Amino acid sequence: MTHTLHRVGTVENLDGDYVFLCMPSKDINHVGSGPKLRRFFEIALKHNPVKIGDARLGNEYHQGGINKILENVEDRAVVQALFNNKEAVIAMMKDLKEEDLGLSVVLSGLGEHVGECCNKAGLQLHTVEHSLGRWGKTEKLPPQHILEIATMCGHAMVAVNFIQEMIDEVKKSRKTAEAAAEELFKPCMCGIFNTDRAAKLIKAIVEQ
Amino acid sequence: MLINKDSCINCGLCVSRCPVSAIKEDTPEGIQIDLDECVECGVCKRWNICPTDSIYQQELTYPRSVRSLMSDVLTIAPESGISGRGTEEMKTNDVTGRFKRGFVGIAIEMGRPGIATRLSDVEKVAMAVVKEGVEFERDNPITSMMSDPKTGKFKDELLNERCLSAIIEFGIEKEKVPKMLNIIKEVSKEIDTVFSWCIASKVEPDGTIPHVKIVEDMGFWISPNGKHNLGLGKPAYKFE
Repeated sequence: MTHTLHRVGTVENLDGDYVFLCMPSKDINHVGSGPKLRRFFEIALKHNPVKIGDARLGNEYHQGGINKILENVEDRAVVQALFNNKEAVIAMMKDLKEEDLGLSVVLSGLGEHVGECCNKAGLQLHTVEHSLGRWGKTEKLPPQHILEIATMCGHAMVAVNFIQEMIDEVKKSRKTAEAAAEELFKPCMCGIFNTDRAAKLIKAIVEQ
Repeated sequence: MLINKDSCINCGLCVSRCPVSAIKEDTPEGIQIDLDECVECGVCKRWNICPTDSIYQQELTYPRSVRSLMSDVLTIAPESGISGRGTEEMKTNDVTGRFKRGFVGIAIEMGRPGIATRLSDVEKVAMAVVKEGVEFERDNPITSMMSDPKTGKFKDELLNERCLSAIIEFGIEKEKVPKMLNIIKEVSKEIDTVFSWCIASKVEPDGTIPHVKIVEDMGFWISPNGKHNLGLGKPAYKFE
């Protein structure tokens, strides 16, 4: 599951796109992990995340609200919290270090920024994964500006045609970019679709 | 997924929601789902967009059931025990030691982003990489879809099944990476879909990420963003 990797974008527009993921490991530390995963969410909510989500049970729309996400989290869940600024990332890192949940935590984002945040929070990178891009019949892919939005749902639940429909709605002033981004978030069950970045990308497309 | 044509009013609201454009408007019966294209991801139904609740999940039997397993993010794979179509891979490397020093992890996600793939294309890539003696990740659901994981051959009845993506996942010695990257580059010319691929390794004590230099020396593009395991899991795996 590499759902938080492969987010397409420029160094400029990937700034402000940080996804924390927390998960237990099967047969190593998964028993009794539910309350720790819930604690992860509580810590994240202190730092004003763009979104939180649970890959096992679905996003806030699917579960019926943020409180339901916290109530329902199970032992083997894979949970996420999304932030749009480095200050929140550093604060989140410091809290996670102090809380010592004992679960694996992965942060997706620009390597240079993540390294800087780790230094400030007193953490050291353990293992790193990079995308090597998209290969094969790439002529089948939608254009770059659509890919930048679509790849924020790593499971490809956000349809390219729907992205175009939402962009058209904003162009016709029937929706704000923020409202369009929120609509696009709904099928992303893990809750890692960055509505803040999506709104900025849609505004840039519409202004062109 | 199917549409109940007794209640469907052909409003077309569902059409743009389908990630693989399998909901067709211009059929003799009006709006219809093309079952050959549909990957059973569940997005159209889960969205509750249909004003007459006409979208319904038909009973999925093998081999079609693998479409749902590989495409619907909320389906739990029995092999991995987690949602989605992958595994813990580098995300829990701090406690599993899955990718040790001197090794790198490679994952080739066929069909991503959003193009989908037939399992016949997954087989082509699996059969190409296995010639280098790789062992596929046993917790990955695609390994159990192979009739022989030693050759990468899939079960014949699965070859035409279509899914949003399928991840070919393995670890190899660092020295074998250049040859493997070239094998993957060559086989990418033989498939009728796309893949997104990635590479992972344990960070050295001096902060070096071993795979970066290998990839850059070969002239391959590598992303400025990535996934970073922060080493907070316990009990920590003791690396040599």
